[in-house]
Amino acid sequence: MSLEEQLLVRKIDWGTVIDHIPNWRADQVLKLIEVESLIKEPDVSVIVLKSVPSRKYGKKDVIKLYHYFIKESDAALIKLLFPTVTINFIRDWKVQKYVPNLPEELVGKVRCPEVTCISNARREPVIRRFRVLKEEGYVECYYCDALLEISSIPDFIAE
Amino acid sequence: MPGEQSAGPIIREDLRGRDLVSAKDLTRDELGIVFEVAKEVESNLDGFSNVLRGRRVALLFAEPSTRTFSSFYIAARRLGGDVLPLNEPEMTSLTKGETLYDTLKMLEGYGADCIVMRHPSRGAARFAADVVSAPVINAGSGSQEHPTQAILDVYTILKKRGKVNGTSLGMLGDLRFSRTVPSLAYLVSNFDDVELHFIAPTALQVRQEVELYLHDRNVRYTKVTKQQDIPDAISRLDVLYVTRLQKERFPDPSEYERLRGSYKVDMGMLRYAKSTLGVMHPLPRVDELDTEIDRTPHAWYFDQARYGLPIRMAIFALVVGETR
Repeated sequence: MSLEEQLLVRKIDWGTVIDHIPNWRADQVLKLIEVESLIKEPDVSVIVLKSVPSRKYGKKDVIKLYHYFIKESDAALIKLLFPTVTINFIRDWKVQKYVPNLPEELVGKVRCPEVTCISNARREPVIRRFRVLKEEGYVECYYCDALLEISSIPDFIAE
Repeated sequence: MPGEQSAGPIIREDLRGRDLVSAKDLTRDELGIVFEVAKEVESNLDGFSNVLRGRRVALLFAEPSTRTFSSFYIAARRLGGDVLPLNEPEMTSLTKGETLYDTLKMLEGYGADCIVMRHPSRGAARFAADVVSAPVINAGSGSQEHPTQAILDVYTILKKRGKVNGTSLGMLGDLRFSRTVPSLAYLVSNFDDVELHFIAPTALQVRQEVELYLHDRNVRYTKVTKQQDIPDAISRLDVLYVTRLQKERFPDPSEYERLRGSYKVDMGMLRYAKSTLGVMHPLPRVDELDTEIDRTPHAWYFDQARYGLPIRMAIFALVVGETR
């Protein structure tokens, strides 16, 4: 971390640091981790930095989740969308770099873009599932075959 | 008593207990098995009269259907099966707000050995197959797929042309919202040197997932979107599969009025065609297919409709039938 970065980005002793997010994409990552749900966690602070200088990428976004560890499945989803991202879990200043396995399937998290899909039917006990077609850049609904661009996933996070 | 029944045909077990949710579920060999049994049904109908003896087939149709429902109904009855027809909205309770899940569980509780289902939601058949242990046969899942129609469509091509390999198949009309078109495209991708031509305005072109599937399987296809290119496309075809342009699918009604003539199949359009071209249609037709064609050798659609029965009998026999 350069001096300039250090001045802008204070270190945390406990929680998650999501670094090297492409410039101005932090909001999409926040959607993926459903940051709004953290409102119920009084000890958690969310620090969002946008357009921070980066030696490697010129500019980047960083998210620090103080006193919160993101789920492994969310880490995998973030990595799927933004391959440049690095995820660190910090415990007592000790940094553990977390490299998620890229998912072959997304379960529960993403809503099908096809409005007539059974997985969007209210009251049906359907578990949302998508197959990841990484090379093609899509995920495919297990039920209705509809394709969703990986880059559009943040707009289809299930409520 | 089983011992007193006349000896029926020997039914292979390859597809026994299997769901038929998507045309993608079938390999070419499995399709060949369905065709073998369908041919046997055509030549020896009486021999199959006990194949579903003691089996209960539920027909759960949550969307209007005359032909598909009737052909499944007759197919199950001719095989000697018991049929539980749930095709009136009040009978299915789905209109009362019952979930599809509960309806399926109820049918399972009634001891259905097989559930044939049509539903307006895409993906409903896959969901149903996960919910119940009995095999589920998809009779139309919204605009997604209609695999048994595609099986009888390919059977028609085989019967009429003597082969499916090397077929140049055009699909014309509303390809985006058609459920028969994806299933047929998936199924013919099992054969060699098949070429597909999707003839439709851009807004009604074939869906992205179909293109991706064909691309992955190295199937050659073209998209014909301009009216002026239609005659040239027609001239290349061995088979033309017609679906209806539906006015309600067009955001602008004047666009529909402008295009409908170009997508009406009549003798004028067929003057560009090979003399051997076969015209197919899943029926019912409205005005997209001129009745003039009925009297010509191009008209394959009535035979196509007729093949629905042996094909559906074959599917029942293979999936849920008595084996000796």
